[in-house]
Amino acid sequence: MRRAVWLSLLLVARMPLSAHHAFAAEFDINRPIKLRGTVTKMDWINPHSWIHIDVKGPDGKVTSWMIEGGSPNVLLRMGFTKDALPAGAEIVLEGFQAKDGSNRGVGKTLSFADGRKLFLGSSAPGANGEPDK
Amino acid sequence: MRRAQSFRRVLASSLFVLAVGFADAQQAAKSAPPATTWVVPRTADGHPDLQGYWTNASITPLQRPVELGAKEFYTAEEAAAVDQKEFTERTSWDRLGNQARVHYDMSQFGLDVIQAKVALSRRTSLIIGPEGRIPAMTAEAQKRQAARAAQRRGHEFDSAQDRPIQERCIVWATEGPPMMSSGYNSNLEIVQGPGYVSVLEEMIHDARMIPTDGRPHLPASIRQYLGDSRGRWEGDTLVVDTTNFTDKTSFMGSTENLHVVERFTRIDADTILYEFTVDDPATWAKSWTAQMPLTKIAGPIFEYACHEGNLGMPNTLSGARAADEAKGAK
Repeated sequence: MRRAVWLSLLLVARMPLSAHHAFAAEFDINRPIKLRGTVTKMDWINPHSWIHIDVKGPDGKVTSWMIEGGSPNVLLRMGFTKDALPAGAEIVLEGFQAKDGSNRGVGKTLSFADGRKLFLGSSAPGANGEPDK
Repeated sequence: MRRAQSFRRVLASSLFVLAVGFADAQQAAKSAPPATTWVVPRTADGHPDLQGYWTNASITPLQRPVELGAKEFYTAEEAAAVDQKEFTERTSWDRLGNQARVHYDMSQFGLDVIQAKVALSRRTSLIIGPEGRIPAMTAEAQKRQAARAAQRRGHEFDSAQDRPIQERCIVWATEGPPMMSSGYNSNLEIVQGPGYVSVLEEMIHDARMIPTDGRPHLPASIRQYLGDSRGRWEGDTLVVDTTNFTDKTSFMGSTENLHVVERFTRIDADTILYEFTVDDPATWAKSWTAQMPLTKIAGPIFEYACHEGNLGMPNTLSGARAADEAKGAK
């Protein structure tokens, strides 16, 4: 039996951020994308949330895309609710397309059409709250 | 956003108090009597009450940066400066390191480690002692690792079974034992009952049931992903001994014969001091020990139903098949 070997993510000097999987295996650095689209729904699923958007091309044709996001657990904990990204919201994504060429992508940066970050943007430490006393 | 700013203010004022407080608590644990009037809470059977929600989110490296030599602790001032740098100067992109090229901005999704409550320590590394680093691997272990890598090479994306066990949503790499910070959702819940202690880690979803009634380990023929844990109380410290791992997981290159001893000591209202010692003669010439605080957080733990939503796995494999086709077409 072939042994599954854990990635030794913890061997670097600082504790790294470890995503659920290797993004580079799923998305293609050679397929950069920039999309402006309208949210149709958000899947609140672990390990990754998925944001569905409709993107209108120059010819008026609408294409549906799925954008991979972070764990809903932290989003919920930081106050992100189902109303925070409502259907109809316009968002802008700059990122990379799936390696299989399908309409799936990862947003290197993701913001509302008016430039606001989709979530908190810059880091906001301590959001897990004060401990129970 | 207001909440975020308020947290930042709270953090700015309390971060260093926390850091100093923990170091003081560590000192207090070593030199009785403690200066505070805090009394360890106890369960009905008289053991220390470890129950509740805790985080092991950490910005302390496992291994000591080489340039620090044998320096095991920062002074309060040094620790404040190091933490300050991590919290204000470095970004989630910095922390992603070489993963950053194809990745999302972790902080946009609340996944940056400093966006959650962090269990601070004045330690320069989680590994204790003058070396502060994992002992060198034995020649046997190096050979074993090279053989594993050679076996995988070129087959990394053949099937789901060839992907790391973490990607398959079976167990998380930091789940242990020993338990390590998972980067985000680094939360755990401890529940105690007569004869048992249970440790639920949010990442990835497993509750480790630890009998404390003195029963022996399972027979060596029965192996488990999380090993077989047995607990006992040594004074006010819960000591958990784990053996019987499988060859499907590995902690820093260990074999299935890894032996882990964890020690949980409640040192103040908001802190459990967590220490582990790992031993595996087939991997390291000597055992090594790390120590980290578990800091109290507000609950609850949320479900992390990883497998149900694991769209990343089919996407990764279909990407690999597309690459195979493209290669074949050339």
